[in-house]
Amino acid sequence: MRAIKGVLLTCDSAVKQILLSMNEKDPFIIEDLDDYHLVIKADEEYRVRKVLEAELEKNTYSLEAS
Amino acid sequence: MPSIQALSSTPLDIPHTVPDHALLPFLRSQSQNTLTRLYQRPSSCLSILRLLGPLQRQLIMNLLWLESAIPVSTMAAWVVPDGKKLYNEALSAVVGLHIIQNSTVKLALNPTFKSSLRQAITGGGTTSSFGVPAEKDEKRQPVGIDTLDAYALERWETILHYMVSSGQGQLPTKPSQGVLFLLQRSGLMQTTHGSALQITSAGFQFLLHSPHDQLWSLLLQYLHMAEERQMDLVEVLSFLFMLSTMELGREYSADSLSETQKAMLEDLRDYGLIWQRKGSSKCFSPTRLATTLTCLSPPLPTSSTATSVTTSGTEVSLSSTAGPQGFIILETNYRVYAYTNNPLQTAVLNLFITMKYRFPNLVVGMLTRESVRKALSNGITADQIISYLVAHAHPQMRKNNPLLPVTVQDQIRLWELERNRLKSAEGFLYKDFASQADYDYVLAYAKQLGVVLWENTTKRSFFGTLEGHANIRGFIERRSGAS
Repeated sequence: MRAIKGVLLTCDSAVKQILLSMNEKDPFIIEDLDDYHLVIKADEEYRVRKVLEAELEKNTYSLEAS
Repeated sequence: MPSIQALSSTPLDIPHTVPDHALLPFLRSQSQNTLTRLYQRPSSCLSILRLLGPLQRQLIMNLLWLESAIPVSTMAAWVVPDGKKLYNEALSAVVGLHIIQNSTVKLALNPTFKSSLRQAITGGGTTSSFGVPAEKDEKRQPVGIDTLDAYALERWETILHYMVSSGQGQLPTKPSQGVLFLLQRSGLMQTTHGSALQITSAGFQFLLHSPHDQLWSLLLQYLHMAEERQMDLVEVLSFLFMLSTMELGREYSADSLSETQKAMLEDLRDYGLIWQRKGSSKCFSPTRLATTLTCLSPPLPTSSTATSVTTSGTEVSLSSTAGPQGFIILETNYRVYAYTNNPLQTAVLNLFITMKYRFPNLVVGMLTRESVRKALSNGITADQIISYLVAHAHPQMRKNNPLLPVTVQDQIRLWELERNRLKSAEGFLYKDFASQADYDYVLAYAKQLGVVLWENTTKRSFFGTLEGHANIRGFIERRSGAS
């Protein structure tokens, strides 16, 4: 039996795909559990959230910017 | 049939949605001794009665003029079976305040409460718990209600404005040290790394509450602090209640107050509850903030008069176009028109709106994704934004049903959901169990502790919270040690 310290992320499958592609550049995932759950390194959470937010932001259209 | 059931259950459900007044839980946490001392003052009894729910008030009024206790069954006979639950709740609420004596056989009011409330209603007695009016001074003009309102409003808005602008790096007028300390203690503002006070997420939420709720949450904090400052809580509470029963626009003498209460004068002056001619004055006048503490009328002059008080008289006609309450119009295209020239209201709106134009009596802005996200990241929730817009909607908006455009409401909620696409929890992943039995055994234990966040039998692994780890590790070690 092994116990691995980490952070459990619960997300929808779209976000999970983005996370997987982020992981290819800069690995942080410890274990891919299922469609909605991932375990990642605890000290990477802040960075992952930042990058993910920037990624999601690319897909939004804002009236203000136009 | 389901519709009938639904109908019949509604009247019962309504009272549950009316929450207790914020002060009542605090009173309930006090000892019977403290409360009985408080009940010696008629004004306190009357004020508490006004804070209670309708059913609780009725229970008290039923018992008030009875000389002896009545059997519990007599009172229960008045209650229809449907109302049983409500009755029991109301009864236990007043018993919790030690207003009705706790007994399984007989019901009676606390004798102190009974005689004080009787006195409050019928008058008489010399307890001076309703305050002693000051002698008329022929030389000086009595202070007008307008002056009092303006003073209360100025004090109160200084506090709120200070809070709202702290996050934007502006430097508005500072409230007094006492107020700053109170804001810090109540967690509405905080200093980070010794810098200036910054508003917290609790503070942002506070700004969107009604003035009555705001006032009481600060006063509650004041009460908690009074305990630490070794002030007599009964004196503090009874003074607040005394103020709440006083007459607006009248001067009262400070001579009959106790030492504790005299010390409170200064604090309450800072909050805008009391007006005094001079710091050393022997007289004081309660403002509208104080006299409405225990009633439903608005604690501050309403927004249209508010703007006319804070600004020059020429703008009265402009601002009076806004109704007595609301000033915000929200359109389906996310545009917000706020008919106000009050800097505080503008600053509060600025928390979640992108400002576009500003006119003497009108501010135009837009609810945008960015502006709402900024508010959300400050700790304001979508529901709070919506309820603020509802509470301050312009009378013109009130003709709409539903009041706010549904699209806008939904979008605000969606923007909130958008931020929560990723949930995270720190903990440990347990995997590579030697056998299925091993896995089941440990998982059952972890479930018993309630620390399992995710599990998968085929993979033979589960994820437990950080808190559960010490226990689970101990459990596995004990097991492998035993076998």
